[in-house]
Amino acid sequence: MKGIKILERILIVIPTMLAIAMLVFVLMRVMPGDPVDKMMGESGNVSIEEIQSLKKEFNLDLPLFEQLKIFVTGIFHGDLGTSFQERRPVWNIIMEKLPATIELALGAFIFSLIIAVPIGVISAVKQNSLIDRLGMAFSFLGISAPAFWLGIILIIIFAVNLNVLPVYGRSMFASTPVHITGLYVLDSILSRNWLALKDSFLHLILPSISLGAAQASVITRILRSSMLEVLRADYVTLARTKGLSEYIVITKHALRNALIPTVTVIGLQIGTLLGGNMIIETIFGWPGLGRLVVTSIFNRDFPVIQGSVMFYALIYVTANLIVDILYTYLNPRTTL
Amino acid sequence: MIITQRRTYLNKICKKQGGKMKRLIILFLVAFLLLGIGMSVIASPKDTIVVGLKENVLSLDPANHRNRTSETVIRNIFDGLVTRGPDMKIVPEIAESWEWLDDLTCEFKIRKGITFHNGEALTAEDVAYTFNRIMKEGGMDGESSPRKGLLGPLESVEMTDDYTVVFKLSKPWTVLLKMLPHQQIVPKDYLEEVGSEEFRKHPIGAGPFKFVEGKLNERIVLERFEDYYGGSPDLPPVGVAPLKTVIFEILPESSTRVAALLGGGCDIIQNVPTVDVPRIEKNTNSTVKYSKGTRAYYLEMNLTKPPFDNLKVRKAINHAFDRELLIEMLYNGEGSVFAGPLFPYEGMFDTSLTPYKYNPELAKALLVEAGYPEGFSLVLDTEIDFKEPAEIVAGMLSEVGIDCTVRLWEWGVLKPLLLKGERTLLLNTWGSSILDPVGYVDAKFLTDGRGNYSKYSNSEVDEAIIEGAITVDPEKRKEIYKKMQKIIHDECFYIGWSVNDLTGTSANLINWEPIPDSRINLHDASFK
Repeated sequence: MKGIKILERILIVIPTMLAIAMLVFVLMRVMPGDPVDKMMGESGNVSIEEIQSLKKEFNLDLPLFEQLKIFVTGIFHGDLGTSFQERRPVWNIIMEKLPATIELALGAFIFSLIIAVPIGVISAVKQNSLIDRLGMAFSFLGISAPAFWLGIILIIIFAVNLNVLPVYGRSMFASTPVHITGLYVLDSILSRNWLALKDSFLHLILPSISLGAAQASVITRILRSSMLEVLRADYVTLARTKGLSEYIVITKHALRNALIPTVTVIGLQIGTLLGGNMIIETIFGWPGLGRLVVTSIFNRDFPVIQGSVMFYALIYVTANLIVDILYTYLNPRTTL
Repeated sequence: MIITQRRTYLNKICKKQGGKMKRLIILFLVAFLLLGIGMSVIASPKDTIVVGLKENVLSLDPANHRNRTSETVIRNIFDGLVTRGPDMKIVPEIAESWEWLDDLTCEFKIRKGITFHNGEALTAEDVAYTFNRIMKEGGMDGESSPRKGLLGPLESVEMTDDYTVVFKLSKPWTVLLKMLPHQQIVPKDYLEEVGSEEFRKHPIGAGPFKFVEGKLNERIVLERFEDYYGGSPDLPPVGVAPLKTVIFEILPESSTRVAALLGGGCDIIQNVPTVDVPRIEKNTNSTVKYSKGTRAYYLEMNLTKPPFDNLKVRKAINHAFDRELLIEMLYNGEGSVFAGPLFPYEGMFDTSLTPYKYNPELAKALLVEAGYPEGFSLVLDTEIDFKEPAEIVAGMLSEVGIDCTVRLWEWGVLKPLLLKGERTLLLNTWGSSILDPVGYVDAKFLTDGRGNYSKYSNSEVDEAIIEGAITVDPEKRKEIYKKMQKIIHDECFYIGWSVNDLTGTSANLINWEPIPDSRINLHDASFK
């Protein structure tokens, strides 16, 4: 029964994606701005014939419905179209950018866990202590500080004034690892290139902190409150009366149970980390999907925007689906 | 007894696991610290230069873009028939010499002994192929080049022998030579063999540096071409480039570029924001270099809409706007005020024209005469990039009783409204990288021009614009443009100025100067 339900949910993804694709297509066309004109820039002169010929090449001279038909047929054939600006298949461009975005999201995710789990647990265990108050104050700051501001401040402190971390990019030229997965840290480990590992890891620190700060704060707060709830539960009291050490009680009995609601949030946060990186990627010159979308929107590069937005939608829908499925296993009382 | 035993056992197991966990955490933290602390930026060797670009490179195929930043990179990999020095003078590069056979025909002699990066010799055949690929519809394997418009009335390019090509125009076009530095020569055989798509991934040119690797919106790496013919003899030193490696990094955020320059991660950065100039100059390792701007900044009034259908109001705006003060306040005085539509440092500029003087009292009087004794309200449209100058203009206009609010737009949204004549007052820029009226006045002032946002239409001006583009004699051209400048100056609807380009460089970079057309030519550059 559960299997059928899961299959149903997976199948619903298809019409959802199609609806999103059409919505993005229409919104892009409704938005003012001419891609060919943007391509020519505010400089020099261009003949009308030249503009017409480019419009024809991009199918922009066809009626909207025809253009939509070409786009949708393309999707079913696995073809997301060709970028107006770069004249390359959109799929290739997205695949080229994706590893950078995944690596940054993973970096931010690991950073947020390293920060959030200890602070969340300690704050709950030592409720109202100085550590708790400081932890909560920091998490408040983390939520309130805009990522772009935090990014610039971190660059000024660590890259300009202290000069201990790099300002931009994923690696130095001389130490880019061999391409295996596209995730530089992983590739350097796989190719045993320790110089590249150090370099790509250092490049990852500042953007990960900037992107992960808000997530760390959210997770800290959720973990703290669920820990507080769990710590008052009977089985924790029982564990204590059994004479187990406080460390064991907290890590083995309380934290494990407090993690259930936290996991749900973490799952959804991964979607946000993958999709919420446009500004951070721009600030840190991080060549990922976020920066691609920002540039493409300004250039009215319709095929790239359509392709990338569909990709983002797929990530969100899948993340939601996985969380829902996971939840039914973690808590059998919930149904899909 | 049993309970105590169980408890001890449990604790033992848990401690054991906990201990393992603890060790893991400590190990992880130590690794984190070892990797993180003591970071030393891997020092670039002295023969490697890193350039921070302000925007994405769109293509490495010289025929497949319409973007200055892409051209900046391309022109280090490819050479053109002719090029320009920092003084904007046209000098031969791949062409050895040229001769106008008549007003419509120009013959170029190609330098012998030039090879492409793959070792093949560059001949007239490659030159003809390069231009025909751009001019022909669908010339790039079915795709049309967006650079066709930059070749004006060029009709054909034919080789007459291995080292001679003839350019034929359909009508006289005086700026042919000025436009040619923007076209670079590609290898015919290689392109025909691999196709345009492959060529864009592995471009091969005849320039001072060859392409090594790179992703367009991330990083592009070039390496010195050891068999380089030496470049233009008019731009010494001639020879192989002193730098071994050139790295272009795409850094769209200006504060990141500045931080990279200050931190030593970049040696040249494009578009330094004026606010960062003191910081860069205070730093002993960096400096700012200036070059004359080739973008016209302008305040443009829509002539079809009141109150700007009234000449007196337009004149009042000219007297109310203190351009010198704006340049002083925003750009540390690094800019020039226009008298009329043209850049005061371009060849066709009419030196007898003077800019309208700042005179708020006269402006107020003119407004009274025009029937606006109480002033009026209006919206000044601009893009986010020009927020500061627009706010300064609004402030100046308010001093003469005009209640002016600034509205910031995304350009793609604003442009269609401007072309329909639905907006009133605009602050923006228009590029003229060859510093010639062609490509600028025909877009801005010709009836229904591509950038004619004031909806200006004057048959005399139209005639001058068309005539000026096809007149060959420079003195005659000057006369024609003189008339046009006077009319536009008197109509008062276009208030122009230019801002010098600010490029940040490392203090020990030598033999490199910025060029007004924004090209970053690294052939001669080296480090102290």
